[in-house]
Amino acid sequence: MPSIVTAERLSKTFQVKVRDPGLRGAVRALFRPRYRDVHAVRDVTFRIEPGEIVAFLGPNGAGKTTTLKMLAGLLYPTSGRVEVARFVPWTGGPPFKRHIALVLGNRQQLVWDLPPEETFLLNRAIYDIPEADYRERLAELVALLELGDVLTKPVRQLSLGERMKCELVASLLHRPPLLFLDEPTLGLDVTAQDAIRRFLIEYRERHGATVLLTSHYMQDVTALASRVLMINRGRLLYDGALEVLVARIARTKRIELVFGGGDGNRVTAEALAAFGEVKTFRFPNAVLEVRREEAPATSARILAAFPVADLSIEDPPIEEVIRLAFARGVEEGE
Amino acid sequence: MITRYAALIRNAWLVDLQYRASIVLWLLWGVTEPAIALGIWWAIAGDGSVAGYARDDFARYFFAVMLINQLTIAWDSWYLDRWIREGDLNYRLARPLHPAHEAVAENIAYKARTASVILVVWLLVAAAWPAVRLPFDPGRWAITAVAVLLAAAMRFFISFTTGLLAFWTTRATAIMELHAGVSLFLAGRIAPLALLPPAVASVAGVLWFRSMLAFPVDLLTGAVHGPDAVLRGLGGQIAWLGVWIVAYRIAWTRGIRKYGAVGG
Amino acid sequence: MRRVIHVLGAFWRLNVAEELQYRANFVASVLGTLFSMATALLTLSLFFHHTTNLGGWDYWEIVVLLGVFNALTGVIEAVLRPGIGQLAGEVRSGELDLVLVKPVDAQGFVSFRRLDLWRLSDVVLGLALAGYALTRLGRIPSVAQLAAFALALAAAAVVVYAIWVVLMSLAFWFVSVENIAVLFDAVYEGARYPVSAYPGALRFLFVYLIPIAWTTTIPASALTGRLRPEIALAAALVAGLAFALARALWRAALKRYSGASG
Repeated sequence: MPSIVTAERLSKTFQVKVRDPGLRGAVRALFRPRYRDVHAVRDVTFRIEPGEIVAFLGPNGAGKTTTLKMLAGLLYPTSGRVEVARFVPWTGGPPFKRHIALVLGNRQQLVWDLPPEETFLLNRAIYDIPEADYRERLAELVALLELGDVLTKPVRQLSLGERMKCELVASLLHRPPLLFLDEPTLGLDVTAQDAIRRFLIEYRERHGATVLLTSHYMQDVTALASRVLMINRGRLLYDGALEVLVARIARTKRIELVFGGGDGNRVTAEALAAFGEVKTFRFPNAVLEVRREEAPATSARILAAFPVADLSIEDPPIEEVIRLAFARGVEEGE
Repeated sequence: MITRYAALIRNAWLVDLQYRASIVLWLLWGVTEPAIALGIWWAIAGDGSVAGYARDDFARYFFAVMLINQLTIAWDSWYLDRWIREGDLNYRLARPLHPAHEAVAENIAYKARTASVILVVWLLVAAAWPAVRLPFDPGRWAITAVAVLLAAAMRFFISFTTGLLAFWTTRATAIMELHAGVSLFLAGRIAPLALLPPAVASVAGVLWFRSMLAFPVDLLTGAVHGPDAVLRGLGGQIAWLGVWIVAYRIAWTRGIRKYGAVGG
Repeated sequence: MRRVIHVLGAFWRLNVAEELQYRANFVASVLGTLFSMATALLTLSLFFHHTTNLGGWDYWEIVVLLGVFNALTGVIEAVLRPGIGQLAGEVRSGELDLVLVKPVDAQGFVSFRRLDLWRLSDVVLGLALAGYALTRLGRIPSVAQLAAFALALAAAAVVVYAIWVVLMSLAFWFVSVENIAVLFDAVYEGARYPVSAYPGALRFLFVYLIPIAWTTTIPASALTGRLRPEIALAAALVAGLAFALARALWRAALKRYSGASG
């Protein structure tokens, strides 16, 4: 069965005007502009099969959104080939657009001053959805996202989480086989993030949609995606299962501690160092790095030894995982 | 397509409903400009006439300007400029609907609301003030309707095309304002074209400005008569509409190409 | 009082630093003003193509008035509109509360918090135009006339400010009004011509109902020597009255707002 998304040596280079500061620079830029190349996406190759949930992971500016926009047909590649649902996105036109849904985290398609219902009705007309299908799909989506009576309130009165959920409803009414989500959980509280992740899994289960999302939250990836494409500075660093990557790269975990009041003398950086590598220590906060396998046991020992008010076990920040990945030269496609 | 337009217009109508107070204010602006112009010309005309326009003629002219300007006005350059700069164009391009349709629907919804108000105001004023009454002439009114439609379409394309310049410059709205400033004279908003120095008036006639407003207004008030003049005027409108449609197509194709190169 | 100035000063310093970054905006703004002044002069020329005077004023006298109009517009654009323009949005979004908790007088703060520095060029251009028109008239104003002009202009600025305060207060009742400024702009267009230029009904509107045309007619009259000195004093009195009334309305609106939002 052919892949639903194929990208071969996909590259995107932007030409950015270079301007010297000051008035003279401004005038020069007007008459003889100079340009500098920004390689947003370099030589990226991957295939996605129908029904997969794939996460593009990377820090800000890594090229995730640019790649997504190329897949959605908003940008055309500088070089390389891309094919989505057997269309070339850039020239696909309306037939292609019926196959996709694009949700951008920071901009919304919901009409601000009206209830979400109105945007749904508008999309029904734009995508030519038959009445019966519309009712059925709307009911299903509303139930899955637990939206209830939110639909009749103007969008401007909704919380960020509610708005994102409605945004998803609006995008899925035409039941596209492909879902492109750019930073879908950005700025949401934990409950909302969780709800959206659960929804995406359930939706994929029911309808076999292919979901591509970009994110810089590790939790999005761990909860949702079986497969992660790590992108940094335009290059694809890693393509595969997350556990494999983390196990290979991020051999450590971080224990974040907040110490309780009382005997402040007992807790010193030295005392803590016995349990692992002390990354930061500013009483009452501390961060300790320990080997991944030892994290639970070490946490138990710390709780026994010190007056701990709060403790959490975290993965190292994504930037660090990527830095490590880069430093250790993880090859593409592994 | 009809269902889509129905949905788009309904949407725009509902949004306008939320902003009805603002719309009233914009309407006020649309009324005071011709009202002030009328006031000044009224004073100038005195008991005589200016270039063939007596007081009553001015009154009829400016009421017609009020109505027809409201029916033909377009402001899409501001919308487009904002969509392009604020990234609101992206999701519109990902839909299987050309963004221009949304702009047209919004235009129609707004005008349905505002023009009807002006029409009612005109009728009320006409009840008390004979000067602004028009002779009952359905034939003339029908032809005027055609001219108004042509003018509205052309002004839409002018506005949309200028808005597309936002793909290349941050000053697209300034260009639109320049155009609005010029059309104050050449389209006949400040005075009937007959009152302009002949050279200027002919420029207005040769270019698209007369087709924008002055011609439909003159049709309605009866200043243009005889099949020759009417046909020439309509012909001019059709020709310039064609020109601006071509301009729009070029701007759109090139603009989208540029957008696909650098993004939004 | 010193506090208010101190706070405003801090805001303005930030503003100016921002604005200096946008020199292109300055050029654009000046070009825009020159363009609108040119349009106004052309309009006037068109009128005078068909007449020799408007309401007893001849061409260059009206140009003086146009210069005054531009100067006042410059004050509005530079000082009033940037700060007050934001108000309607802040009321809607609730951000106004952030403004109200600041330990300064809200009215003063909202009115003057932002300076669009470059728009002050309008004032310069306007006064320059008026000056040029006076030389074309061959009338150089005497010291007394200049004093009367200064007083009348200040009074006019206060009246315009009072009108803006009234509009600001309206933002509390008509929360959905986004463009209160549009209301002002629409009516202020009437101030481009001397009061006497308008025929009966319009004159009634601009003179008694919305006394906006006076804000330009009186100062311009002072410059061109048409003004009786007592009128300038009366203008100052009216300005004071307008300010007091506007402030009363503002306080009432604020009281209602604070009560309503809880």
